[in-house]
Amino acid sequence: MSAGKILVVDDEPQIRRVMKVILIGEQYEVVEARSEETALERFREFLPDLVLLDLNMPGMGGLETCREIRETSEVPIIILTVRQEDQRKIELLDAGADDYITKPFSKKELLARIRAAMRRSPLSTTSGPHSFISKDLEIDFDSRKIRAGKKTVRLTPKEFDLLRYLVSQAGKPVPHRELLQAVWGPDYGDQTDYLRVFITHLRKKIERNPAKPQYIVTEPWMGYRFNSPTE
Amino acid sequence: MMISRNRIRIAAQLCGSLAIVAAITLIYTRVVTNVNSTTIALTFLLAILGIATRWGLLEAIVASVGGMLCFNFFFLPPVGTFTIADPQNWVALFAFLVTAVVASQLSTSVRKRALEATRRQQEMERLYELSRGLMLVDKGSPIAGQVSHRTAQVFDLRGVAIFDRRIDFVYRTGLTDDSVSDRKLRDVATERTTFRDASADVWILPLNLGGEAAGSLAICGSEISETALHAIGNLAAITMLRAHAEEAANRMEAARQNEAMKSMLLDALAHEFKTPLTSIKAAASSILDEAPPAQQELVTVIEEETDRLDSLVTETIRMARIEAGELHLQKSPESVAELIESALVKLRILLEDRDIKIEFSPNLPEVFVDAELAGLALRQLLTNALKYSNPDSPICVRASAEAPFVRISVKDSGPGIPDKERAHIFERYYRVAESADRVPGTGMGLTIAREIVLSHGGEMWVESAPEQGSEFFFTLPAVKRNAEGNS
Repeated sequence: MSAGKILVVDDEPQIRRVMKVILIGEQYEVVEARSEETALERFREFLPDLVLLDLNMPGMGGLETCREIRETSEVPIIILTVRQEDQRKIELLDAGADDYITKPFSKKELLARIRAAMRRSPLSTTSGPHSFISKDLEIDFDSRKIRAGKKTVRLTPKEFDLLRYLVSQAGKPVPHRELLQAVWGPDYGDQTDYLRVFITHLRKKIERNPAKPQYIVTEPWMGYRFNSPTE
Repeated sequence: MMISRNRIRIAAQLCGSLAIVAAITLIYTRVVTNVNSTTIALTFLLAILGIATRWGLLEAIVASVGGMLCFNFFFLPPVGTFTIADPQNWVALFAFLVTAVVASQLSTSVRKRALEATRRQQEMERLYELSRGLMLVDKGSPIAGQVSHRTAQVFDLRGVAIFDRRIDFVYRTGLTDDSVSDRKLRDVATERTTFRDASADVWILPLNLGGEAAGSLAICGSEISETALHAIGNLAAITMLRAHAEEAANRMEAARQNEAMKSMLLDALAHEFKTPLTSIKAAASSILDEAPPAQQELVTVIEEETDRLDSLVTETIRMARIEAGELHLQKSPESVAELIESALVKLRILLEDRDIKIEFSPNLPEVFVDAELAGLALRQLLTNALKYSNPDSPICVRASAEAPFVRISVKDSGPGIPDKERAHIFERYYRVAESADRVPGTGMGLTIAREIVLSHGGEMWVESAPEQGSEFFFTLPAVKRNAEGNS
């Protein structure tokens, strides 16, 4: 039985070759595309469960492809990039990517990211909080709708899970490791930098002033805490 | 030469005036006799008016006096003497002289004014021509040179020189260094006061515009009014400053394009190197799972060396970006504790079970930094401490507030850095001689770390004594405290 269908988009044949061997070895079904145009075509035919997308392709570029896929689908998208800077990573998340992997990466890292992206959050909709309402932030966890200030915000599934976990523990500091494992799964735990990028992005979406967060507060040495300003 | 020519002209005109008076006297004594004295006086007056209008006041006055003497001698009784019998004739003679002089004066001043008006008009026309000419200067050749040439041409001057202060060069059009020296031009430009050398007929004026000194302008051989001179000066200054501004704008655009080009190249380079590394690492890590133990060791080496090559590429490209002035800081308030923690997490493989002591002063403010780059600088110091000290010795990380900065230090118990080497360790590619063979490294790490700290407005330095270890310090700007700090 197939573990899932993955679309691999990269213009480098060697990388596609290695990825194909690794993914097929893990029982995934793999379809390749070497340009954005074929990627969008294959995406419509094949309806993958996950897309691995190289950022540095010639032509319209990975970011644009990511936006186009995101317009019609909620499929998890993982971007492959050589850029290390946080700012670049946040741009990727802005374009609708769920996650990114910095090249070069190991097999273990790749598989862990794929599993995390495909995995649904263990926090079921019934056990978690249903909503959070304050002066300038409204979250409806059932309908997945968020209003920050006057605008409606769209979160990726991972960001949504992250926020839901923090809200479910509101007022308590949540350690990095706990947060990573709750949202990304048991393969995670030490990637505090990675968590930081997601938190920064989430703050950008829901905080009025992301440099002085009111809701998602840093607990030095510990992790993060969801703070309800009324408390 | 000019002056003597002028004298000859005046002398000739004076003789001419006297000749006219003589001619009138001759006509009335020899040719047309029996004319009454009033007619004769009026004829003299008419001639004097003509002389005043045509030649000038001096000639007219000489003619007046000459005319008066002739009138008295030849026509007023007793004729043939300078004595006058009838007192009435005294009045007539005096009236004649006064009328002649006043009329001369009036007509000369009218003439002067007309001349002045014509000159002004000419000057205006020439200024207009010059301003049009200066608008069309050729951007390819030196601007000041063209301004000098055009001014000389349009105003028909004997010589013009312009000192362009920005490039410190004097352009000359028919004006030698003997009459106006380079030094004089420079002085006028610096002192910003107009200089006039009347004997050499030279004006030197400073070229200023809105407080900005463009240089100075020397003009020789002109009857240009002072107003027009200043107008020429302003035109020249405007043209030169405009050209400089345009040039600066072009240079900035070129620099910007150059930077964009470098950035693109670096991106391409990063991609080119990392692509094969990606395939190698993914393949090696994939084999590792299934390989028998003997091979596992070898594949691990492949994987680790791939990582090393990767960090070398990353480091080199980052250095190139910093060199290219492309350090775009994305600053935000960061907790120092978190920066240190995150650096330690990233280094966990290198750290193994090293004893890391962390000391914090209470109430440490947050720092306003680019977390990515500040983290890199800190990791660099930690890596150095790990590499250059005994694996069993502890490493101490300290942070304290030193308004308006936070000072962070990393101390090891290694052999210390020899005095003579300490000054060089932040230089690019420099490696301490004793350890260069033992400890792997590129000699770029500390340079990068220091560049990062400097770009944040902080400082980095080292304190070290032989066998006492080394302590690297750096400062990062602290976030100003406000009433509701929440983290």
